[in-house]
Amino acid sequence: MSNIKILIVDDELIMRESLAGWLERDGHAVQTAASGEEALEKIKATHFDILLVDIKMEGISGLDVLRKVKESDPDAEVVMITAYGSIPSAIEAMKDGAFDYMLKPFDPNELGVLIEKIIQHQEQARENIYLKEQYKDRTRFESMIGQSKPMQAIFDLICDVAPMDSTVLITGQTGTGKGLAAKAIHTNSSRRNGPFVTVNCGAIPEHLMESELFGHQKGAFTDAKETKKGRLELAHGGTLFLDEIGEISMRMQIDLLRVLEDRVFYRVGGTQPIEADFRVIAATNRDLEAAIKSGDFRKDLFYRLNVISFKMPSLSQRKEDIPLLAAHFLYRFSQETNKPIDNISREAMDEMMIYDWPGNIRELENAIERAVVVGRRREILPENLPIFCHEPATAIKAHSLKDVEKTHIERVLTENQWNIARSAKILGIDRSTLYSKIKRYDIEKIT
Amino acid sequence: MTPVSPHTIIIAPIGDFTPELLDLIRAEIKRIYAFPTQVRSLFEDLEFAFHPNRNQYHSTPILEELARKAPAEAIKVLALVQKDLFIPILTHVYGEAQLGGKACIVSTIRLNEGHRSLNTQEPYLSRIIKEAIHELGHTFKLRHCREHTCLMHYCRNESDVDRKSDQLCRYCKVLLEDEMKRLEVK
Repeated sequence: MSNIKILIVDDELIMRESLAGWLERDGHAVQTAASGEEALEKIKATHFDILLVDIKMEGISGLDVLRKVKESDPDAEVVMITAYGSIPSAIEAMKDGAFDYMLKPFDPNELGVLIEKIIQHQEQARENIYLKEQYKDRTRFESMIGQSKPMQAIFDLICDVAPMDSTVLITGQTGTGKGLAAKAIHTNSSRRNGPFVTVNCGAIPEHLMESELFGHQKGAFTDAKETKKGRLELAHGGTLFLDEIGEISMRMQIDLLRVLEDRVFYRVGGTQPIEADFRVIAATNRDLEAAIKSGDFRKDLFYRLNVISFKMPSLSQRKEDIPLLAAHFLYRFSQETNKPIDNISREAMDEMMIYDWPGNIRELENAIERAVVVGRRREILPENLPIFCHEPATAIKAHSLKDVEKTHIERVLTENQWNIARSAKILGIDRSTLYSKIKRYDIEKIT
Repeated sequence: MTPVSPHTIIIAPIGDFTPELLDLIRAEIKRIYAFPTQVRSLFEDLEFAFHPNRNQYHSTPILEELARKAPAEAIKVLALVQKDLFIPILTHVYGEAQLGGKACIVSTIRLNEGHRSLNTQEPYLSRIIKEAIHELGHTFKLRHCREHTCLMHYCRNESDVDRKSDQLCRYCKVLLEDEMKRLEVK
């Protein structure tokens, strides 16, 4: 069923019922009113997208209904229903804001075309409002969205920090937008025309990390058939973003510290020192001070990174941003999937506001994407949201042990944003075993 | 008269329809809805629904009469007529159905480019069958579908009917299954 609410106002029962039946079969939610008075009562209680109003009625006339509707609910569109003799009144109604008028009896095709035209007109109007809202009141900053106090403070902080060339450490839970904050700092800095190079320290296997960061000379190792620039070199003149810095190995921590201190490094197998000028922004969801205490992270590297630091708020700390973020994702995914879903039901929104979102914005984004994909109506309902769906326990019975293992690995990887070290730790296996299982089960990262 | 087994869909021709056409409709109903069918004339006289000022037949009272006269065991009743149908607010309709109710009706007139004589050649034959399945779909609570190829898509003209397939789309299939389950529970 569509989400379009239609009110038919006509004092002739047979006209009301035949039109209501027709529109219901078209999938619309239809109510009827036998008089202008009844219509005004219904309008007080419910918002209707479209009203089909007979001009000639005893008591409150169709024109009066039109004027009252336009006063109380300007977004509702009114179509006047008229007999041949009352065309002048219909033209008067157009001046008072009626969308159109139709002569009784209607051609069913003309009625269908008119309803579709109104729906498109209203969708366009909603889209315009959405686009305008994007630019007002600074609810957006670069690619970040938020009107909550914690996010407004982050936006201010980024504006202050960006022009300096200091190293920045961004902390916060997974999925809170640390990468977007790093990009926003870069975009607002004097290095904005230089490259923004990301190194996901958790996703690159340890044995490849050295070559990835520093590059290598031709012949440095068996597979080094060409000389390759590392990410540090590629970041020259721009910003180097070290994501998931907490996952970096002890050996690489030592190498990185040396680079940060001297700004000079060597390609693997190279003898020539290379100087690169870049700003470092690092991010982690780990408690690095606790990692220092447990001996997993070097204190000197921490102090080198922690020149300016800030923490991204979790989504549960900025719940007032959920409607804005959800609307943004809904718009994006409905455009991408070409599905006309343009609303989130009140019930679904209530559920989203109650939920704690441990996966933060990324989880919300995934939830909305899934809801758009599975949704069949014009609005998202609670049952479309994966967080409130529970697979029946029987579903697993048909799966082999291998299927279950594959699914579990996929889930852990997704929940940890493909952070191999963390996923391996959770799964209780070492990283090389996890890599071999990813290969064996042909698990692919979905971006 | 042949007894009616439970959950039978009655096909009630009003006027002359060839056995071949009726057999094809029965086969399609069986394929889509999987209920047994029976052809049975319930009434022939449509004067009660005739409006001389419009020279057309009001389909809504015909549906009421069909629902009243259908055997109690029948789950649905589909009438076929060679008359031009209307509902008061519209100039004409191809057919009408009681949404989630018992009765529906299809007129062959406008599917045959306005000719009142029955045409059982293609593409007219397929149009009649598709619209019969479409109107029956409404009695199973299916509404108009935005999918152009789905049987439940509302067609504005004959070429739209020709363009749609003889299948329900996957969404309408699921909704039909839901309704079937509900009916079985009853």
